[in-house]
Amino acid sequence: MSEPRRIDDVLWEIPRDARPDMRVPARVFADEELLAAIASDRSLEQLQNVATLPGVVDAALAMPDIHQGYGFPVGGLAATEAPDGVVSPGGVGYDINCGVRLLAAPFSAEELGDRREALVHAISRAVPAGAGRDGALALRGERLDQVLREGAQAVVREHGLGTADDVERTESAGRLPGAEPALVSPRARERGRTQLGTLGSGNHFVEVQRVDRVLDADAAAAFGLREEQVTVLIHSGSRGLGHQVCTDYVRTMDSALARHGIRLPDRQLSCAPLSSLEGREYMAAMAAAANFAWANRQAIAHRIREAIDTAVGRREADGTRQVYDVAHNVAKVERHGGRDVCVHRKGATRAFPPGSDDIPADYRDAGQPVFIPGSMGTSSFVLAGRAGSMERSFGTTCHGAGRRLSRTGARKEIGGAELRRQLEDAGIVVRSPSNRGLAEEAPFAYKDVERVVDVVERAGLAARVAQLRPLGVVKG
Amino acid sequence: MYRWIDHTGELELRVEAATETAVLEDATRALAELLRRDDEARDGEAVTREVTVDADDRAQLLAAWLEELVFLAETEAVIPERVEFETLDERGLRARVAGRRGQPPHLVKAVTYHRLSFDRTGSGWAATVVLDV
Repeated sequence: MSEPRRIDDVLWEIPRDARPDMRVPARVFADEELLAAIASDRSLEQLQNVATLPGVVDAALAMPDIHQGYGFPVGGLAATEAPDGVVSPGGVGYDINCGVRLLAAPFSAEELGDRREALVHAISRAVPAGAGRDGALALRGERLDQVLREGAQAVVREHGLGTADDVERTESAGRLPGAEPALVSPRARERGRTQLGTLGSGNHFVEVQRVDRVLDADAAAAFGLREEQVTVLIHSGSRGLGHQVCTDYVRTMDSALARHGIRLPDRQLSCAPLSSLEGREYMAAMAAAANFAWANRQAIAHRIREAIDTAVGRREADGTRQVYDVAHNVAKVERHGGRDVCVHRKGATRAFPPGSDDIPADYRDAGQPVFIPGSMGTSSFVLAGRAGSMERSFGTTCHGAGRRLSRTGARKEIGGAELRRQLEDAGIVVRSPSNRGLAEEAPFAYKDVERVVDVVERAGLAARVAQLRPLGVVKG
Repeated sequence: MYRWIDHTGELELRVEAATETAVLEDATRALAELLRRDDEARDGEAVTREVTVDADDRAQLLAAWLEELVFLAETEAVIPERVEFETLDERGLRARVAGRRGQPPHLVKAVTYHRLSFDRTGSGWAATVVLDV
């Protein structure tokens, strides 16, 4: 494989002529140390595979948190030109609209004081985790269709979970247009039926945090964040419903490749033209699954407010406001460089700059909020989108620290019980249904989030607004 | 015979066996191992399910078979113990899965098509499938 060559301070490129099947170059945002880690797995080969997709424009791009996935690397993005370019379900991933939502509480860590453990405990009881689903919103038929069509908006209006203000402070107002519930298979509906309002397993979590440092006072003020304030970060997605929608359409498109005359270096990249029946149906089903994910995080946020009510008080629960909610596994048709393109974000976050019409009016001077969870027990960051994202990365930035070690590798280094003890020694309250799952998410299994954030800031994609430190975590 | 190879963000299953049927049986055992908690007693309610799968080719058949088992685990908490294939060819299979209800702790999100293969080798059959976990 050809070595990436340096373009500037934080951008590297594998040229288009590195492989005969590449249609555009492959570019990675990274510093030397992150690039060395990236080059140690197959993620760059996977990025070159993405560069072969029909209709891909400009470049296949990777964020500094890129790691090896299947088909697309995690931390990758690609834009394909509508209407003839393709859409690839694998370019969104199985957890459609996996994303993060940040809530800001009206009290400080000091004011929370020794009620912290009670709060984490109340959240662990209110939000089902792992395979748990007690307390989930079980919806069928037209009630489920409403959620699939209208996302977070349906959950607020029909079920009274949260406020119109939450919806206003959500990417795409918590509802992707064009969703068609009839294109979500009975099997996907069955998987999702008892999972609305549940966290799931793997790397999903709810973290109680405090704002450790404000790094951009004006943007922090616009986002309603101040030092020492308690925040709650929610990381979850579309659960089994989204997993099944992706499964269904990877297969459908795999079977239609020959008919569309598409040849691919990896079957997981299966795709179809946006204008084809398969392409249009996937976009409508994917939008429905994305809406289910926004509804899911809306329901979880409501349960967290109830937990705050239990552990702290009613007034504090009512005063807990949503900062924002971002998707990091999604495909959206957006206008970039004067053309309509389908931006696949696979482990990457939209980061629109100040002045964008697509972000809430009171955030418009600051830029779109972006949340970058660090690994469990380390810092997370609030960023704001910057103009460079529109010029260089289709309005996109990174999504997390990015895995460094495999799950088995992490378990070999530490047991769940030992990790639990270490985190609690560091003053972090931990609730998790599985020691094994906990160990797999050990902090050292991830890259250094500060280094990742430093690269996107130097690249001009997003800028730091605040640093958050964990007080407690409920692991999925 | 099967083994798991753990990558940065996924689990890869490699199976080698004398027959196509044995590959699918081994893949079923491997998935059951993943779904069963280390300390779990095997005393849950016994469950039997008929499963029918069709596919365009043998590799897709393997993926579709495992997808059925993932679906049963997620919606009915079934951990498979025995499988009998009533019919099996490159384009489809019909099978009876017997298992027990458990508490699958680590739900497999999906069976991917990444590096998916199921082919004849010199001495038998070999398959590779990558799971999203």
